[in-house]
Amino acid sequence: MALLYLLFGVIFGFILSRSGAADYNFIQGMFLFTNVQLYGIIGTAVALTAPGIWLIKRHGRTLFGRPIRIELKPQHRGNIAGGVLFGVGWSICGMCPGPIFVNVGEGKIYALAALAGALAGAGLFGAIYTRVQGLFRLPRLVVGTGDG
Amino acid sequence: MLILHHLEPLHWAVAGAGVAAITLALLFIANRRLGISTGLEDVCSFVMPAPYFARDAVRSARHWRMPFIGGLVLGGFVSAVLGGGFSPTWDLGMFDQVIGFGPAGKLAWMFAGGLFIGFGTRLAGGCTSGHGIFGLSNLEFPSLVSTASFMAAGILTTQIVYRVIF
Repeated sequence: MALLYLLFGVIFGFILSRSGAADYNFIQGMFLFTNVQLYGIIGTAVALTAPGIWLIKRHGRTLFGRPIRIELKPQHRGNIAGGVLFGVGWSICGMCPGPIFVNVGEGKIYALAALAGALAGAGLFGAIYTRVQGLFRLPRLVVGTGDG
Repeated sequence: MLILHHLEPLHWAVAGAGVAAITLALLFIANRRLGISTGLEDVCSFVMPAPYFARDAVRSARHWRMPFIGGLVLGGFVSAVLGGGFSPTWDLGMFDQVIGFGPAGKLAWMFAGGLFIGFGTRLAGGCTSGHGIFGLSNLEFPSLVSTASFMAAGILTTQIVYRVIF
């Protein structure tokens, strides 16, 4: 299965690379309202994914007959605060998380610094989670061995 | 035109359909919810002992998200090779024309932005893929709130950087 996920990643990464979604100029063009490319991509993706998910959920099973179970994301104050922080970072770097990896693969040297920053930022959040948990009403951690 | 070898980009409808196809394939074939920023936690979880990185949600998904993220890097590499060759570059498009920092300044700029991305996506519980594409498509309210927040903040930041400061 790992090879299948790798293949999905390659296709997804190639599309991000060639569409402008991983391109600094196109991201700024979206935020400056001077280029509609990214609005078109995200809008089309949601317009097609939404009925797709609805159909898959109605079908209720994967291609191999396993039950479909979608884990929903929790609602809390971090949705807004984190979203704002992420938006600032997306604008500064011209990359969201997927395109950071894509830009590294393309050979954009500065993307390595964005990746290092993103890992440090995620690491920092994990390290102080219990201290900001109350402030943002974040869910309790469910810690265990996991199934994988 | 893309920064990468000045290639013409795919039509947005083609790219959007491709993103939807991969998102739906992950769900229908493998029962996986698209989400890329959680992959940052996966990487952290190998080196950091904090309980946050020992969550079931992280440990049970590393085995698929790590190869997927490796695929993103490889996909970018394949795109560069097929589009004119892999040649590492500092080219940052309009940043070079308007802001014009050199390599050291770019690294500092990107690292700072990366901190916001890493911390923000983890606090929000998702990024453009998990909240923006999957969450919105699955009609999840927290995803609508997050997506509105990061779009608004991105618009405001770029407007300030390119129309006010520089």
